[in-house]
Amino acid sequence: MRLFVLNYARTTEQLEFSAPYTYDSGLQLNVLPDGRIAAHDQALMRELGATTSTAGSKTHFDD
Amino acid sequence: MTVLILTCEQDVTADLVVAQLHTTGVPVVRLDPADLPGGVALSGEYVNGAFRGQLTTGGRSVSLNGLRSIWLRRPGVPATRVAEPSPWLTEESSQALYGMLRGTGARWMNDPDAARRARHKPWQIRHAQRSGLPVPATLITTFPQAARDFAERFPDLVVKPVSGTHPIAGAHPQQLPSTIPTSRITPGMDFTAVAFGPTLLQRRIAKVADIRLTVVGDRMLAARKALPPDADPDEVDVRYATSGSPWQPVDVPARTASAVRVYLRDAELAYGAFDFVEDADGIWWFLECNQSGQFGFVEMDTGQPIARSVADWLSHDGPDTETHRNGRMQSAP
Repeated sequence: MRLFVLNYARTTEQLEFSAPYTYDSGLQLNVLPDGRIAAHDQALMRELGATTSTAGSKTHFDD
Repeated sequence: MTVLILTCEQDVTADLVVAQLHTTGVPVVRLDPADLPGGVALSGEYVNGAFRGQLTTGGRSVSLNGLRSIWLRRPGVPATRVAEPSPWLTEESSQALYGMLRGTGARWMNDPDAARRARHKPWQIRHAQRSGLPVPATLITTFPQAARDFAERFPDLVVKPVSGTHPIAGAHPQQLPSTIPTSRITPGMDFTAVAFGPTLLQRRIAKVADIRLTVVGDRMLAARKALPPDADPDEVDVRYATSGSPWQPVDVPARTASAVRVYLRDAELAYGAFDFVEDADGIWWFLECNQSGQFGFVEMDTGQPIARSVADWLSHDGPDTETHRNGRMQSAP
């Protein structure tokens, strides 16, 4: 009883994701170790795909 | 007056907006409802015909009567980070938080009731039709014969999840962690398994480009990702495409802009991220509208001021009076 749509599923690796930034509750945003705003580091954001339309799609209905 | 942002700490897209609000000096409080109770505390009293309430988090406190706007971004489920979570405590916490917030009169991006309705893809498809947007022929069914008949009428089909979500490991028998891209169906496919769960089939549009139209209030920011001439026609889903062509700003066709305004107005949404595919005739075919869709990846490629637009909308005190397309202000219709 395999759902039809699951014939098109791609298995993904559950990689342990360790972001190189941390949430700063004072600034209310994520910062890099050198204090820069992580979201402004475009190269990093591209590398991590953290702002793409698949980011978080396992838990949110908002791609 | 304060902007309240409901989202998780990992949401770096929200960071772009928080940074904008800091730049303009607009007070902002960001919290994740998952931390209620615990890291987030609330109180509200209804006495002598009046309401007074407050939220506290991270040493900040905000009066619920002092909220200018609320951005419902990627909030966690209330009470899921307590020591002993339970569905009942989640319901209690959710009703307390969202019930109080609904009573504040603050502007929502997006209103939670409108957002919940707008997440339903079948509703989106019908709403797009009613709004005047071209929608590819679509079937959602558990009847294998209906799927076979549809495939005869429209031989070139794609399939995608009805909910737009992906299975989580263990959520369904045999389920490994996976994603389900929109996928092209091989001709002659056996549709028997359609009976095991609602299946969304849609006529494949031979596209020349993907379009992401982000609408913030009255401001429309559209981006186009052209399909390379040698693109694999089986690579349907732009989210998983291997093409390296960047998103580029594009003007919104007048008819599309008009229909999109109707869509958002009638859906009661202040924000929407529309996905279209453009065919060889230049027609934008509606695929979906994500009421809280990501935008950072588009802003990075195009330089369009989406985060600033969101911050502007959240900072605004009254209804929108100006119309913008692709960051350029235009006269209101």
